[in-house]
Amino acid sequence: MTLAEMEIERYSRQLVMPEWSGAAQERLGEARVVVVGAGALGAPVCAYLAGAGVGWLEILDSDHVELSNLPRQPLFVEGDVGAAKAEVAAARLAAGNTGVRVEGRRVRVEEDNAAALVDGASVVVDCSDSFATRYAVNDACCARGVALVEAGVLGLDGLVLSVRPGETACYRCAFPVEPPPGSVPSCREAGVLGPVAGLVGSAQALEALKLLTGVGEPLLNRILQIHGRDMTQTIVSVRRRAGCPSCASRPAPTHAVV
Amino acid sequence: MNDAALDLRGVLCPLNWVRARLALERLEPGQSITLRLDPGEPLDSVPRSAREEGHAVSESGTSVTIVKR
Repeated sequence: MTLAEMEIERYSRQLVMPEWSGAAQERLGEARVVVVGAGALGAPVCAYLAGAGVGWLEILDSDHVELSNLPRQPLFVEGDVGAAKAEVAAARLAAGNTGVRVEGRRVRVEEDNAAALVDGASVVVDCSDSFATRYAVNDACCARGVALVEAGVLGLDGLVLSVRPGETACYRCAFPVEPPPGSVPSCREAGVLGPVAGLVGSAQALEALKLLTGVGEPLLNRILQIHGRDMTQTIVSVRRRAGCPSCASRPAPTHAVV
Repeated sequence: MNDAALDLRGVLCPLNWVRARLALERLEPGQSITLRLDPGEPLDSVPRSAREEGHAVSESGTSVTIVKR
């Protein structure tokens, strides 16, 4: 695959970066990324990945657009309230970049369907809003050997972790005990400020681009904590956990190593 | 001896350097490409960008030869 004239112009501001290359751009064009959740994290993730030229973007979300989504989900406008998020997001992103194959699927990712949904993806970006989904996505990516970008956001804080299953710490290695339902407030209960989700989602998009192209150093074995209150960041080192039920028994990685 | 040539007259910054970089990417280290550039900003910034990325650059009028690092 070589870049078409239109693509050279469209992606010129990233192609001109010393760290980037035509080969990196072509790798993006050949990638299939699955985004779990078209919410506050999913909005910037989808916008930047479609914008950057990821070849095939799949957006999974079973919810409908609500009025209370609008402050932090710039993919949606008032007229979308009540419509299926996956479909609205896909239509908007496809309109923004006709060179990207965008598919919106109205599906809730759960333990029993997660593995099939992530299978064959180049990278999965988890933008879900519940611990149950997050662990299910992590386990599915570990089982299928799919690289993953995890994140969470609450109030003024967020965190991001990238995972190469079988090689680096997975989400369950970092957080082995799933919080009992109700023990940690959800963003519905504790709230979240839009730009914080924007920061964290942008970091996730950048991580996905790094994993896909080999440019830069992803947050592997490192959790990035973003503290919106004072704009500081903390890096916490994590390690693979012997006996991790998600990733310890994983065979040699089958995903493409860039 | 040049291994490639690219006429970038009429191509604005930074697209001229983007095209030159893509062409350089297809060359082996030590191979060279000769560019034709417009005077002014292109002739000013394309050779500088090439040097910043570590390539050897020689200029002759509006002709710029880059040897891939």
